[in-house]
Amino acid sequence: MILPQLLLGELSGLLGILVLLTALYLQSQTFVDPTIRGVAVQSLLLALLFVVLFLGSGDVNLLYLAAITAGIRGLLIPRVMLYQVRRFRHSLRESGPGQRVPSLVIAGVIVVIGGYALFKTALLPTLSNPSASVPFVLVLLSLLLIATRRNALTQMTGFLEEENAVLYAGALIAPSMPLLIEFAVVLDVLGVILVGVILSATRDVLKSLEEPELEQLTG
Amino acid sequence: MDQSLIFVALLAAPAAGAAISLVPRDGVEVAASLASSAAAVLVSLFLLASGASGAFGLFYSDGLTRIMAITISSVFFTSVAYSWFYVRRINEPLIRFRWYYSLLDLFAFTMLLAVTVNDLGLVWIAIEATTVTSALLVALERQRTSVEAAWRYTLIVSAGLVASLLSVVFVYYSQGTLLISDLTGSSIRAGLLMPIAVGFALVGYGTKAGIAPMHAWLPDAHSEAPSPVSAMFSGILLPTSIYALVRTFNLLQGLASFGAMRNLLIGFGIFTALLAAIIMGHQRNYKRMLAYSSMENMGIILVGFALGGIGIVGAAVQIVAHAFAKSSAFYESGNILVAYESKSMAEVQGVAWRLKYSGHLFALSCLAVTGAPPFGVFVGEFMILTMALSTGNVALVLLLAAVYIYGFIGLNRQSVRMVFGQGSAGQQADGTTPGPAPRAAPQHEHWVSVAIPLANLAVALVIGVYMSPMLLQAAQGMVP
Repeated sequence: MILPQLLLGELSGLLGILVLLTALYLQSQTFVDPTIRGVAVQSLLLALLFVVLFLGSGDVNLLYLAAITAGIRGLLIPRVMLYQVRRFRHSLRESGPGQRVPSLVIAGVIVVIGGYALFKTALLPTLSNPSASVPFVLVLLSLLLIATRRNALTQMTGFLEEENAVLYAGALIAPSMPLLIEFAVVLDVLGVILVGVILSATRDVLKSLEEPELEQLTG
Repeated sequence: MDQSLIFVALLAAPAAGAAISLVPRDGVEVAASLASSAAAVLVSLFLLASGASGAFGLFYSDGLTRIMAITISSVFFTSVAYSWFYVRRINEPLIRFRWYYSLLDLFAFTMLLAVTVNDLGLVWIAIEATTVTSALLVALERQRTSVEAAWRYTLIVSAGLVASLLSVVFVYYSQGTLLISDLTGSSIRAGLLMPIAVGFALVGYGTKAGIAPMHAWLPDAHSEAPSPVSAMFSGILLPTSIYALVRTFNLLQGLASFGAMRNLLIGFGIFTALLAAIIMGHQRNYKRMLAYSSMENMGIILVGFALGGIGIVGAAVQIVAHAFAKSSAFYESGNILVAYESKSMAEVQGVAWRLKYSGHLFALSCLAVTGAPPFGVFVGEFMILTMALSTGNVALVLLLAAVYIYGFIGLNRQSVRMVFGQGSAGQQADGTTPGPAPRAAPQHEHWVSVAIPLANLAVALVIGVYMSPMLLQAAQGMVP
């Protein structure tokens, strides 16, 4: 054991709070660039947290998870997304309900408080791990991000945040679960397909995704 | 013979098809996909006849597995065959045709994997992989709407499926294993986490199965995908997700929380079916209308599985019959789209005169998917209603009856207008009431475009009038 357990516990708690703060930061952004950078920072913080958890438990799975999180969601996917932003200048800013920052931040805070209350009532008695409330709340925040944004790239950051949250939950609750790494890989492959292939499919796609409605896709 | 070899062969067929399809030589992709899908049908027939039950190495089989395998391979085969007629008519496809066939094979492979593996974690991976393999298929026609639909499909379904990953984590945390054979063979440890796991599975797999209110992607993807892909989505992808949900739900058998979660599933199922039945009759796009009909059927199937007893047999029969009938309807919608170049019902009138066979087959398919006797869907729906009656839940019986009647009238009224309606000749110059449009001249129909939907519709009919002992045995074997 390199570091005492107490210190590792404090460190993982601190990193968990920082991850949660990045989620609230994402809620407060109307521009696409900082949202992408925010989710990249969140992924890197999470990778660091996995390393801390590894130091505490010695489970090598966590180390692999840290490498995948930092490499793919911390660096590769955000890089491809930033490239998309530079390619389509018009999609730099959120439109529609995503512009109402104060309301969205308030909604985010309500989700954090409500989510924690729900976790404490429904899950804490069985899970007996209070730290697991952070990924639980993070899942709710990521769904809020996807639901309230119209910009395809911001929705994508919501997906990455949700992925971060669930892998965080997996690592906290059941780090020895078989296939945890495979879960991360499959989700990342999907992420790469989303940003790399579908968004690049046609040059007009980002513009079309921001339009309030496509007449044929209603009803 | 080692029975696990049956499963290996079942998966090897589409995997080999996917690899060979990529050989850059004209016609190879069609031949390879046809051969691999035909092989998958033969192997799954063998699996159905063998009655294999229990764990076989990495694989697990029971009645539900056998029914899903034959349904998936059959619709896969007919979709590959129909693709030969349909996709070459697409101008400027998003991906090359050999990639299309390869992805179609991989799509079938991932669905077959999901219903045969003996591990809930691998089931989740396989279902997530169905999204990976099918995302580009939705956008094949390279329209703005189809790319938008592919985006919505991938994002909404992936966001939902992440919730079902939490379900897998909770099952492992509370039971210490993800092996289906271990989980079904032993007594499940009670606790609050198991019903929560089923709740997350309902949200996650329910999103992929088109269960309301998580269904937003479904009408878009079904209406924008090429018709053979829409047929696979509706006929086999949605039931594959229901399969994963049912597998998780069944873990609660014998636990105190079973009743409450059963009611939750029934509630979501009936809400989905009712919502779809209401919306269906007000659609302007005939492919969207068929998509809502799939939602209605999935809602009813979910109710059947949750009710238990003969409801499970009814749900299994409905899965098979709906897959054949709905794929037939989607293939015919492809024929109509090729002829009229429009998905708008207002622009598609008098199909029976212009496309004599496809028009009539479309009307018959719509009758079949809405539970008209003697088609198989009717038998499934009747069994589910019988089970609901036996529970004495009057509200549920009335709601189911309302769904059946409203759905039947909504869809068939629209399809009859399309097929036999004459439309209007437009406003007359003197302001008088417009008269009927002149009937369109009959158009030549390619034999493949008629034979495949006809064959599928015939199977849906046969299931209704003659219940195969193999199918019945598999369905009855699912009742705990």
